Amino acid sequence: MMYKAIIADDEKELRTYLKSILSEIWPELMICGEAKNGKEALELVESKRPQIAFLDIRMPGLSGMEVAKRIAGLCRIVFVTAFDQYAVEAFEREAVDYLLKPVSKDRLIQTIQRLKNQLNSSTEPPARLAEVVEQVLSKLPGRGGSHFLRWIKTQDKDSVRLIPVEEADYFKAEDKYTLVITKEGESLIKKNIKELAQELDPAQFWQIHRGTIVNVSKIDKVSRSLTGRGILKLKDRPEFLTVSRNYLHLFKQM
Amino acid sequence: MDAHNINPRNVLKDLVYTIIISTLIAAFLTFTGITTKSFVINLIVSQSFGLSIYSMIHFLLWIFKPEKMASVAFIVMIGIASGTLIGLQIGSFVLQQIFSIVLKQPEKSFLQTIILAITFGSVASYFFYAKSRLRISKGEIQQERIKRLSSEKEALEANLRLLQAQIEPHFLFNTLSNVLSLIDTNPASGKSMLVDLIHYLRTSLSRTFPDPITLDQEMDMIKAYLNIQKIRMGERLHFEIELPDAVRQHSFPPMLLQPLVENAVRHGLEPKMEGGEIMIKALDEADLIRIEVVDTGLGFSSFQKPGVGIGNVRERIKLLYGEKGRLIIQENEPNGVRAIIEVPKHDVQSHHC
Repeated sequence: MMYKAIIADDEKELRTYLKSILSEIWPELMICGEAKNGKEALELVESKRPQIAFLDIRMPGLSGMEVAKRIAGLCRIVFVTAFDQYAVEAFEREAVDYLLKPVSKDRLIQTIQRLKNQLNSSTEPPARLAEVVEQVLSKLPGRGGSHFLRWIKTQDKDSVRLIPVEEADYFKAEDKYTLVITKEGESLIKKNIKELAQELDPAQFWQIHRGTIVNVSKIDKVSRSLTGRGILKLKDRPEFLTVSRNYLHLFKQM
Repeated sequence: MDAHNINPRNVLKDLVYTIIISTLIAAFLTFTGITTKSFVINLIVSQSFGLSIYSMIHFLLWIFKPEKMASVAFIVMIGIASGTLIGLQIGSFVLQQIFSIVLKQPEKSFLQTIILAITFGSVASYFFYAKSRLRISKGEIQQERIKRLSSEKEALEANLRLLQAQIEPHFLFNTLSNVLSLIDTNPASGKSMLVDLIHYLRTSLSRTFPDPITLDQEMDMIKAYLNIQKIRMGERLHFEIELPDAVRQHSFPPMLLQPLVENAVRHGLEPKMEGGEIMIKALDEADLIRIEVVDTGLGFSSFQKPGVGIGNVRERIKLLYGEKGRLIIQENEPNGVRAIIEVPKHDVQSHHC
């Protein structure tokens, strides 16, 4: 039986290279399609029904791992990567096929031998692969976004300025909007303080008043006023912030 | 009388001083003959004034926690006045109980006692004030030292991170794979890619402990980097560099611009299906150099962690130029990121980072 394979990589030269050494080592294998991103790879697997898919891990649109999750039961997958330490460790552990770029001929020969054995014994492609991939994806550091706001978008004359949240000294409610106060001055955020409070990391930002959220790392000291409220002094700012009684418990241990 | 941090040890110290000063005042009054009373009586009166004034001032400071010097002075004055009145009551009470001496209201010595109490109270308060200034300034010196040490530490750490962040393994291995393939398919192109890679590696490695370089040199390296990326990404990447002759020879901290360009490619254009454009433009302004790195990539979502690179650049600008340099990140219209570096032309504070 003649086997079909697809190659997915966003770099044309690397697709060409893999194709050329494959044709040398396994001339009977038919490369039935090439994809330059994850979406194309998915479409090719569905339309051409190959037995094997060589998937680069980093591709625009859908990554190789995300493609693999969707086609796990449909064909054998060989991941190709330049450097994804964490994924490679997991593949090693779970006996998932992978190749390192630049792809070496010796390593490819081994991989192909394994593929041939699996295909000839006509076992089903392991659906368990999806689980492994899911596991790796969930543990990849820095992949995608976090739950908390990282950038504050403010209107700055005719452009939208992005300020890293940790630069903010504090936020102050201003009618329907919110002012962010940083070392460089204050700017307006088109969000009310309630919305903002829900998006900020509560470990880093504390609401200390109905209209104030403060960056904890910028607090210098806290003292108590005669009326029982707290007075906050920040490290880089001259003004004092008031901690209303409802939020004073936050500072109990300080 | 340090209003900022009321430290029990200092309060106790002040108490001991108060007792000593009051004793000295009593001795002074007795031996100069300003009052005709005996030392014991003077001592009792003087201690009751001293301790009352001391207690009142500390009590008021503890309640109001004044921050400004003027309000501290005001509170001290109130403390002296109220302390004097209370001291008078306590003093007369004690004298009456033990020695059966009555300080009569209209008597001359009564007025004299009050004037003396206020005078000595003020002198003693000034003594405490001067002492607390000394305490504060000692504290400030300490703070300053801590600040300096920690900024040196920051510089070292930034250097270390710079080292680690420099060459991205993905970039390196992908480039080598390309070269390997091009040797067969297009040797000329493979050769030029290798030349660019060597240039890029050599400059980024030798700039770990940098001497000042020119903007021209930095831009050269960026060009090498973008040439490589251009071969990898093909039609998905276009770039343009605009460097006016006026700023070419200007000295510029190494690896300040590079992370922004890498960021634009790695997080903006590489993950975008149709790719896009990157435009680097240096502007020669009155007393600063302004460099813009603009891409038409994916842009930042509000919830995306800023890359290590951007944090590093921000930190290094702060260390090198303090308030005079800055990094501004903006959204580019209609999509992508516009990163702007502004550095002063003529004052690099140090070269240690």
